[in-house]
Amino acid sequence: MSAADDQAAIDRVLAGDISAFEQIVHRWQSPLINLAYRFCRDRGRAEEMAQEAFLRAYRGLKQWRREAAFSTWLFALAANFYRSELRRIPAHNISIDDIHEPADPRASDGGLEDDDRDRAVRRAVQALPEKYREALILFYFHEMDVPAAARTLGLPEGTFKARLFRGREILRGKLPQLLAMPQLKEA
Amino acid sequence: MHNESPNAGESSMTEAEIDRILSTRDDIQPSSGFTAAVMEAVRREASVPPPIPFPWKRALPILVLAAFALALVAVAGLAAIVQAGRGAVIPHAVSSMPPVSNLIPAGLGAALAWTAASLLGAYVVVKLSMRFAGGTT
Repeated sequence: MSAADDQAAIDRVLAGDISAFEQIVHRWQSPLINLAYRFCRDRGRAEEMAQEAFLRAYRGLKQWRREAAFSTWLFALAANFYRSELRRIPAHNISIDDIHEPADPRASDGGLEDDDRDRAVRRAVQALPEKYREALILFYFHEMDVPAAARTLGLPEGTFKARLFRGREILRGKLPQLLAMPQLKEA
Repeated sequence: MHNESPNAGESSMTEAEIDRILSTRDDIQPSSGFTAAVMEAVRREASVPPPIPFPWKRALPILVLAAFALALVAVAGLAAIVQAGRGAVIPHAVSSMPPVSNLIPAGLGAALAWTAASLLGAYVVVKLSMRFAGGTT
């Protein structure tokens, strides 16, 4: 399915053929669920949030201005909804401010397995302050495409880059302590 | 974006490592009933009649009338306060004005007239809104 197929399906939906929206859901369900999952790290909640995002997209289809790609509009709508939803009911994260120096710094070389370490880093992203977390999530979701990620957040690229830079700085600075924290090693 | 850090060596390695970890897709697959659940919600949404818009055309004259009546009441109230104030500030001029006892019935009369007018206005508004809402009365 291509962008032209998206447009054709949307035209049919707007003309009253609701079943055409199924094509849109089929095409975009995986990205939308995975974007939600990156925000909340909870499979069930990710599906609920993605479902609500699709519903909002359906309600707002008329507002899609066709000069932008449908995917850009859809991701921006979904990301905005996910952000507000997580502000309303935050994911169960540890705050980055609660992370202190480990009692024994050598504990950070404690032989974490790669999978554990990867999970710990992903969880550490969740512990960042909101604006940096969002920038990092969208940057990696869009495969490090800064313009696409900035568009999704509705930010100027410069602002987005600044948040990304700061977020990575905080993450890098805290990483040794993060890897030493048992609660971050849990999946 | 990858080489933004001024640090070299270990920290740039760490940054590269962070990039590698966070770029690795740990995707989840949608559950089998996801599309059906979304489409059910969409169909439910489509079957709900659109909300009734507020009848501005009908309500506007009434609102204007109410605002006008409110303004009149405010002006009359202000005038009454100013009049009472003058009476209190210039006691020597009392001799050239009607006695205060004469003013009270006049003020009371005006207040009664305004109360009656506002009650009538409220009655008209209630009757009209009931007629517009229910098509009865």
